[in-house]
Amino acid sequence: MSAWRALHPSLTEELVREWEREDEEFRELRRRSADWKFIEEQPPHIRAALLYFIERGDRYVAAKIAGLTVDEFDELRRRANIPVVV
Amino acid sequence: MLGVVDACFLIDWSRYRRRELLASLFEAILVHEEVLAQLRSPSAIDFASRLLARGVLRLYPWSTAEEELYIQLRDEVALDPRIPSLERPDLLCLVIAHRTGATLLTENLGVLRVVQFHPAYSRVTAWTALEVLEQLVYRGLVEVGSAEEFLNIISEYCEDTKHVFSSKRMKDVVERVRAWLGR
Repeated sequence: MSAWRALHPSLTEELVREWEREDEEFRELRRRSADWKFIEEQPPHIRAALLYFIERGDRYVAAKIAGLTVDEFDELRRRANIPVVV
Repeated sequence: MLGVVDACFLIDWSRYRRRELLASLFEAILVHEEVLAQLRSPSAIDFASRLLARGVLRLYPWSTAEEELYIQLRDEVALDPRIPSLERPDLLCLVIAHRTGATLLTENLGVLRVVQFHPAYSRVTAWTALEVLEQLVYRGLVEVGSAEEFLNIISEYCEDTKHVFSSKRMKDVVERVRAWLGR
């Protein structure tokens, strides 16, 4: 973390705290909205991808876990009722 | 107005009932061929194809100099755990926006965070769908008579695309629209 800040002095503590607050808000929104029954019914790699997306909101990594393209994963996360939060 | 679009924005916006309005807001929207290659769903492919056919969406001629900028940016941002991972096509869009002055259309939190702090790339104007909806109001392409009507427009987008906008972003945008309505 500190090495990263040394590389990027413009990344202030205040901004980092704002991102952390934002991450928590977004995670909670995804958790609350998710169709957990649908998620539990999925095969393991799809379930893992959806759970990852709920935690991190990162469509790219989630798509890679699922073995899908971003667009294909997006269809899945819509069916699981997990919102994109920005 | 000139725009540049990433895959997440295209995927999401293509599901929106008022998607055709995007072509009224921008004279041209640049797209990298690697962004197009990410599209798989019928809605996104159909939407992008129609924009290409109308000449609104245009393939960006990528250069060696821009490839060097991409590598530099990738090395700068790839390792931070607080920035959601950025795929190559999204960073290419950021480089295009930086080089051309085009407004970047993105739904990618990682891209938005880079624009928040990066000394060079903080000059890029990045809009999510929320800011696009705001601009549609200012340009008279979507008519609203109150902040509540604007909130209804946002709700339509959220419903069509399964999106939620952050409370801070919503507050800021609604305040701006309310001020604009009261001008």
